[in-house]
Amino acid sequence: MFRLMWLFFRVGTMNELQYRVNFFIQLFESLVSLGIGLVGLALVFSHTPTLDGWSLPQLLAVLGVYTLMGGLIKATIQPNMQRLLDEIQQGTLDYALTKPADSQVIVSVREVRIWETVDFLVGAVVLMIAVVQLHNSIGVLPALLFAGLLVLGGLMIYCFWLIITTGAFWLVRMDNVLELFQGVYQAGRWPVNIYPEWLQIGLTFLVPIAFAVTIPADALTGRLTWQLVAGAAALTLGLLVFARWFWWFGLRHYSGASA
Amino acid sequence: MSSPTHTIQVSGLCKTYSVTEREPGLGAALRSLVRRKFKAVKAVDAISFEVAPGEIVGFLGPNGAGKTTTLKMLSGLLYPTGGQVSVLGHTPSKREKDFLRQITLIMGNRNQLQWDIPAMDSFDLNRAIYHLPESDYKRTRDEFIDLLDLGELVNKPVRNLSLGERMKMEIAGALLHRPQVLFLDEPTIGLDVTMQRRIRTFIAEYNQRYGATVLLTSHYMADVEALCRRVIVIHHGKLLFDGQLSDLAGRFAAYKTIVVTLEDPTTDLSTYGTVVEKEGAQVKLRVPKAETPRMTALLLSECPVSDLTIEDPPIEDVIERVFAQEAVSS
Amino acid sequence: MRDMLNFYTKTMKIAIMTGFQYRVSQYFYMIGMIAEPIIYLVVWSTIANASGGTAGGLTAGQFAAYYIVWTLVRNINIVFTPYGWESRIQHGYLSGLLLRPMHPIHYDLAYFAGAKVVDVVLWIPIATVLTLIFHPTFTATPLAIGVFVIAIWGAYLIRSMALWLLGMITFWTTKVSAIFELYMAIELLLSGRLVPLSLLPGWAQQLSNFLPFQWTFSFPIEALVGNLTPLQLLGGLGFQALWVAIGWLLVQLVWRAGVRHFSSVGN
Repeated sequence: MFRLMWLFFRVGTMNELQYRVNFFIQLFESLVSLGIGLVGLALVFSHTPTLDGWSLPQLLAVLGVYTLMGGLIKATIQPNMQRLLDEIQQGTLDYALTKPADSQVIVSVREVRIWETVDFLVGAVVLMIAVVQLHNSIGVLPALLFAGLLVLGGLMIYCFWLIITTGAFWLVRMDNVLELFQGVYQAGRWPVNIYPEWLQIGLTFLVPIAFAVTIPADALTGRLTWQLVAGAAALTLGLLVFARWFWWFGLRHYSGASA
Repeated sequence: MSSPTHTIQVSGLCKTYSVTEREPGLGAALRSLVRRKFKAVKAVDAISFEVAPGEIVGFLGPNGAGKTTTLKMLSGLLYPTGGQVSVLGHTPSKREKDFLRQITLIMGNRNQLQWDIPAMDSFDLNRAIYHLPESDYKRTRDEFIDLLDLGELVNKPVRNLSLGERMKMEIAGALLHRPQVLFLDEPTIGLDVTMQRRIRTFIAEYNQRYGATVLLTSHYMADVEALCRRVIVIHHGKLLFDGQLSDLAGRFAAYKTIVVTLEDPTTDLSTYGTVVEKEGAQVKLRVPKAETPRMTALLLSECPVSDLTIEDPPIEDVIERVFAQEAVSS
Repeated sequence: MRDMLNFYTKTMKIAIMTGFQYRVSQYFYMIGMIAEPIIYLVVWSTIANASGGTAGGLTAGQFAAYYIVWTLVRNINIVFTPYGWESRIQHGYLSGLLLRPMHPIHYDLAYFAGAKVVDVVLWIPIATVLTLIFHPTFTATPLAIGVFVIAIWGAYLIRSMALWLLGMITFWTTKVSAIFELYMAIELLLSGRLVPLSLLPGWAQQLSNFLPFQWTFSFPIEALVGNLTPLQLLGGLGFQALWVAIGWLLVQLVWRAGVRHFSSVGN
């Protein structure tokens, strides 16, 4: 499976290297996006000293993780899911299914947008600045927890998207479902704790943005609890299992096997 | 505007593109980051011809020969790099509204109709775009529905139609404003034989009824043979032949086929030419064109022949040979 | 011209028919779209409630009114994007439009105007739910409502021109996304999309007075919820008309140059 990922990565990269301008464009767009986020924070803090108990450096950390995770999503998860959705809707999924490798792996790793990783770097820089402002140094344990939670969060987002996209096997008219996610993902700019209760639940269990952004940020802003870590691990595992089963179920439906 | 003698006049038409050269491989990709190489490509190289009103002219040429580029210049979509074009007395690239109302460009695999709604609604929209009076529009529309046998299909969303049905709709829609000049670029590409024939008949009928001038490009010799008496052959942007289709074989054919029916099937004809086919008493002989009269005379005098006919090679073979030759003295 | 009116009504009818077929995916888009103002609303309501009721002079209820009307205005000012331009050129649809004896902008203006009809119908239940959840405070005079109805179309036209201009950049380069994203960023900050303009620092408010952005978002919203004076309301319409005229002029100029370029380098 990792060999497959490396191969796709190599081809994708070679393709993109032709377009060196893309790097600068991507950098520019990332900085513009970051600029907007910073302006938003500045505006908020020109009217209040804290937001629901969150200080500026803490919110900066959240913004950093939001950008970083966003970069990962746009580089790896989003292009694959978009392509999968297109192929299901146009009936051209068969090419992926007739290859001698696990179909779920293929549809999940074959697309890579290498330049989107700029967002990852930009987010990492912002995050480090924020953490420095908070603690003056990063402990090993928080850093490891952060990295681990980031991976778990990413996997959860992946599972979420795979499950939604698998729904296209039944509900073919699903254009814009990815736009929907992109819109909702913006909620991750701010810690989910500031949203009304019902929205928090939605942003944790319905669309796992809390796990993708807020909770990894918690690891570095000192708000993490062991329950959250355990919850993240358990939820990730559950989602991975369910996503795989759902994919298998959807494939059977797609190829006409009786449900 | 008074109509000139010729509907279409083209003189020394040229179109040159500047393209970047890109080679495969990672090393070349990295190198191209630093320095780019350009190359001038002559898509159309000094073509001249004239088309009279009501003529149907076929453009023949392999892919990339410059046919589509020429059509685009004639319809005003591309500016020529050199030379002159005049269609219906207008300069196409000026894209005057009067000019645009009298022409149509139909490309084989492009959709102009709205995808999700019945073609009838797209037709209505075309009426509004071309300012067609209601009664004229209705008459033309119903005429086309009849000629193309569209029937109830006009009320189905276009995306639910088969490829052939969709093409019929596209053509009907593109001709509703009764243009005087038709530019058809591979109109029958990808369609089955019946549909191709249907469309050909329609175009011929339209040409008959409205005296429209038709320029047609196609890969299918059947299209050209059915519709065009005159063909223009283009290759590498150059005009290789402009004349009657029947003359094409006469000019370019390298050989002729002599079909001999023998009284004695065992006679060996291999000394007279290449035996292409032997079926019972009938033998097909391929003979160099220059040799044909002599061989025919020899066969008749030396062999027990009960019947003999001389055939031109199939048009496809001729065309192939024309392309392979490329530079021909006219 | 009667024919032009006929064209507009026919195109709008087609847009409505098509839009209705895609209502499910349109709902997905809309829900994703309202996430943005809801986030802003929640943030500013939190600040207002924690700061003794108001933030920047606005109560939570006023923020709610602002951002809920925002969703309607946003729906109306969605127009043909530069990304659509790229796609259009790639698939050869622009050539088809160039062969028509009519300026292609009419098609886009008419089509998107028609699509709004479906969008507004789909929006009503969403607005109802938002109103129930966020309790906006809402007072508006009949004049304000009348001006609002006109102003949203003024916003539509201004934004159509602006994005058409941006879209025409694709005549010269395929890398229009950077410029477009920059435009969107400036628009976000200076149009009243991110926050009501009164919350911006003074210099930013001054700057936005010279730019067309506030007439695409802030003015229509404020017309309805901002308790503007009749002079401000009518004056605002006048400014909108001015920007529409400027936009139209620029579109004509750039279009001519763009078509010349497009027809020279091949398509």
